[in-house]
Amino acid sequence: MYAESTAPSRARPALPARLATATVVLWLTALLATTLPWAGELPLTHLLSAFWTYDPEIYASVLAHFSWAPRVAMAVLIGAAFGVAGAVTQQILGNPLASPTTLGVAAGSQFGITLASLFLPGLLALSPDLPAIAGGLLAIGLVALLTWRLGFSPVTVILAGLVISFFLGAVNMAFLLLKGEWLGNLYIWGAGSLVQSNWQPFSELWPRVLVLSLLMVALIRPLQLLQLGDASASALGARVTWLRGAALLLVVLLCANVVSRVGVIGFTGLAAPVLARLLGARTLRQRLIWSTLIGSGLLLLADALAAWVSDLGDGSLVPTGTTTALIGGPVILLALQRIRNTHHMPGQDSGPSGFLPARRSLTGTAVGLGALLIALLALAMGWSPGLSGWHWTPVAQWGEAWVWRGPRLLAACLAGVALGLAGTLVQRMTRNPMGSPEMLGVSGGAALAMVVVTLAGLDVGRGGQLAAATLGAAVALGLLILLARRHRFAGNQLLLGGLALYVFMDAGLRLVVASGGTQATKLLTWMYGATWLVSETEAVALLLVLLAVGLALLAILRPLTILPLGETAASALGLAVAPARLALLLLAALLTAAATVVIGPLSFIGLVAPHLARVLGQQTVGRQLLVAAMVGAALLAVADYLARIVIYPSQLPAGLLAALVGGVYFLWGLSRHGRD
Amino acid sequence: MSAFFEVSNLSVRIGDTTILRDINLSFREGEVTALLGHNGSGKSTLLKILARQHKPSTGNVSLQGTSFRHTGAREFARTVGYLPQHPPGTDGLTVRELVALGRYPWRGPLGRYTTEDQTLIDQAIADTGLGGFQHRAVDTLSGGERQRAWIAMLLAQQTRCLLLDEPISALDVKHQVETLRLVHRLAEQRELTVIVVLHDVDLAARFCDRLVALKGGQLIADGSPREIMDTSTLEAIYGVPMGVMERAPGQWVSYVH
Repeated sequence: MYAESTAPSRARPALPARLATATVVLWLTALLATTLPWAGELPLTHLLSAFWTYDPEIYASVLAHFSWAPRVAMAVLIGAAFGVAGAVTQQILGNPLASPTTLGVAAGSQFGITLASLFLPGLLALSPDLPAIAGGLLAIGLVALLTWRLGFSPVTVILAGLVISFFLGAVNMAFLLLKGEWLGNLYIWGAGSLVQSNWQPFSELWPRVLVLSLLMVALIRPLQLLQLGDASASALGARVTWLRGAALLLVVLLCANVVSRVGVIGFTGLAAPVLARLLGARTLRQRLIWSTLIGSGLLLLADALAAWVSDLGDGSLVPTGTTTALIGGPVILLALQRIRNTHHMPGQDSGPSGFLPARRSLTGTAVGLGALLIALLALAMGWSPGLSGWHWTPVAQWGEAWVWRGPRLLAACLAGVALGLAGTLVQRMTRNPMGSPEMLGVSGGAALAMVVVTLAGLDVGRGGQLAAATLGAAVALGLLILLARRHRFAGNQLLLGGLALYVFMDAGLRLVVASGGTQATKLLTWMYGATWLVSETEAVALLLVLLAVGLALLAILRPLTILPLGETAASALGLAVAPARLALLLLAALLTAAATVVIGPLSFIGLVAPHLARVLGQQTVGRQLLVAAMVGAALLAVADYLARIVIYPSQLPAGLLAALVGGVYFLWGLSRHGRD
Repeated sequence: MSAFFEVSNLSVRIGDTTILRDINLSFREGEVTALLGHNGSGKSTLLKILARQHKPSTGNVSLQGTSFRHTGAREFARTVGYLPQHPPGTDGLTVRELVALGRYPWRGPLGRYTTEDQTLIDQAIADTGLGGFQHRAVDTLSGGERQRAWIAMLLAQQTRCLLLDEPISALDVKHQVETLRLVHRLAEQRELTVIVVLHDVDLAARFCDRLVALKGGQLIADGSPREIMDTSTLEAIYGVPMGVMERAPGQWVSYVH
C-alpha cells in the first residue's frame, strides 16, 4: 500500500562527530591563546589556582587573580549566556539569523544607558540594569511593531532589527556630537570591553545568567512546537503569542544584564547557534547545549585575541566587541551559503506585502512635488539666518551666495535622487518594503574603506577619500555579486550579504571610535553626512553620473516590472533573469556609491523615499521611481537646509538629521500603513 | 447522540468582507464530513473556526456542549487536532520527533514522556505505515509521506476529532486515494470525528459519510452523499452546468457539461 521510492533507514540519526571535534578544538585553541601570554610568568598550576587564590608576594599572581582570571570567567559566562539567548531567539522566530544583536536588543540597551547617563545619572547609580532593560524592550517592541503586519519572515525581522539598530545608533550619535565631552567613555564601553579589575562584576552576573538560562531551558518543550508553525503549535495547545513574549522577555533580560556590565559584545549570540546548527546540532535540545559550549569557547578566543592585539599594538585598547564582530561577519556569510530555505521557514506564513492599492494620477503628484522642490530650493538659497537676525538674500545676489549654498544643496538633492532611485530598485528586486541600499552593504563597503584609510593614519585629502570610498563600494559590490551568483541574484540573499558587510563596517567603526582622537571625529562627521565638504566639481560630476544612470533605467523599466513575479514566471515570460538582475544590481550599487560619498552611509532616504512614493499613490515601477527620486531630493534638501540653520552658526551633519527624521517617519508610517 | 461541534449563528468578517454569514450546523460524533465549495466559499475559514485558529465575529461554537470560550488551550488540543493546509518545513526534525510533539497537549512543558507515550507514538507511526522512515528527516520525504507524517502526529495527539484542510490537494491520484483511505480507516478504527476540506467532490462522496457545501459564505447544501450527488445540487454548489452518474452503489462520477 505504501510503496514509496525512498529506501527505509532504521538507524537513529547520530550526532555528527565533527560537532564535538570542532567544539573541543575551539576550546583548546581558546585556552591556549588565553594562557600563552603567561608562559614565562607563572607556572600553569599557579595560573589555575588564580581562580580562587593568590600570592600577595608575587605581582604576576596578584595580576592573574584580579585581572586575568575574572576576565576569563567573564568571557566564558557571557559567551554561554549569548549562546543560550541566541539559540532561543532563533527558535522563537524560526529564523536562522536572529540574535540579540541582529534584533536590535543590544543597541537598545546601549541607548537606554546613554539616555540614563545624560538625563538620569541617579538611576544609573541605583542600577545600570534598569535603563538597559528598558532600552532593550523598547528596541524589540519597535521591531515587533514594524514587522507585525508585514509578517514575521526571517529577512523582514532582521531588516527591521537593523533599521532599529541604525536609528538608535543615529540618536546616540546625535548625543555624542552635541554633548561629546560627557559621552566619550561611554563609547569605549559601548564597543564592548571585558577588562576586569576584580571579581565583583562576575559574582554579580553569574546568578542572574544562571536563573535566566534555567527559565529558558524550562520552556524548551513548548518552544519546540514553534518549529511546526503557528497554526500547528496552537493546535497542539501552545499559547503561541504568550510563549513568544515570555521567551523574548527572558532574552532581553539576559542581554540587558550583560550589556549593562560589559557593553555590546556583538555576534556571539548569532555565531554560536549558527555554527552549532551548521555542524549538525539538529534538535532544539542539541542546539541549546552545543550553542552554549561553542558560544563560551568563541568569546574566550575572541577575548584572548583582543587582549593580544591590545598588547602588541601601541597600547590603545582593542575592545572584545570588535574581535567578535570580525568573527560574526564570516559566520553570517557561511550561514548564507548553507541555509538554503530562507524562503520556507516556519513562521513565514504571510509574505511581506500589504501596500494599499490606492492610486493617484502621476501628473498631479509630480507637479505638486516639483513645486515643493522649487520652493525649497528658493528658501534654501534665499532665507537664512545672519549675524543680525533672519533675512532674504535678493535674487540678484544669488550668484555670489551660490558658492556657499549652491554646491552642497545641489549635492544633497542629487544624493536624494540617487537614494530614491536605488531604494526603489532594491525594494522591487527584493520584494521587501524593508529593503534599502543602506542595507545592501554598498554604503557599508564605502564606509569601511574610509575607516581603513583613517586607521592607517593616511592623510589623503578629500580626493583620496572619495577614491577610497568608491573603491570600497566597488569591492563590496563585487563581493555581493560573487555571493549572489550562487543564488541567481535573488533578493533576500543579497540583503543578507549586505548584512555581513555591515557587520565588518561596524567592527572597524567601533575600533576607530574607541581609539578616540581627531581621526574619529573626522570620520564620524563624514559618516553622518557632512554636506559642507562638497565642492562644485563634485556636485556636477554627481549630476552627470545620475543622468547616465537615468537613461539606463529607462531601458530596464519593464524587466523590473516583471522580476517581482518570481523567477519562474519571469523566465516563462522570456526574460533572462540572471543578467537582468545583475544589471539592476549594478545600477543600484552605482547610485548608492554616488550618494554615499556625499551623505554618508546611514541616512534612511533610500528606505523612506520609495515608501513615501507608494503612499502618494504611485504603484507602478516607473511612476514610483520618478516620485521616489523627487521625494528623496526634497527630503535631503530639507535636511541640508535644517542642518545649516538649526544650531547656526555651527552646523549639524545633514545625513544625521535625515536619519533621525527619516527613521521617525519610517517607524510611524510603516506600522500605521500595515494596519489599514 | 449529542453533537460534537455545535455552530450557531456564526458570522465571520475580515475588514468589510463577510467571509461566513449566519451558519448553523452541528457535527455528530464519529462522522466523517467533507466541506465542499468553490474557491473563496469560506470552507477553510469554517474549518479554522472549528480549530479555534480564527475567532468568530458573531455567533457561538461549542465543543461537546461547552462553549469554545471556556476551554483551555491544551485541553482543547487533547480533543481536537488540526492539520493546516500548508504545513511548514520542519527544519531537520525526524518523523519520530515530529510525531512525538503530538504528545505535548498531554504532557505539557515539563511532564515526563512515559512508556505509554512511546507506545502511542509507535502505534501512530505503524498506523500510517511510516515504520521504515521514522528516523528520516521529514523534509527529505516525498509529498505523500510527509502528509502521512503530519497525520501520524495528529494520531499521537490522541484526539477524538481531526480537522484536515485540503490534505490531498498537492498529491497525485494514487496518494490522494491512499491518504483518504487511511483517514477513513483510522476514523473507523479509532471512532474519530473527521472534518475535511476537499476539492474533489467524487472522492468526497466516496470516502465521507456526509457532505456539507458552502457558497459565498452561506450554507447551501448538507446531507449524505446520495442526497448531494445530484445534478441540480452540484450545479448550485459550483455554478457550472454539471452531470452525475452512479457507476456502482456508493460510487459517483460527476462531470462538467
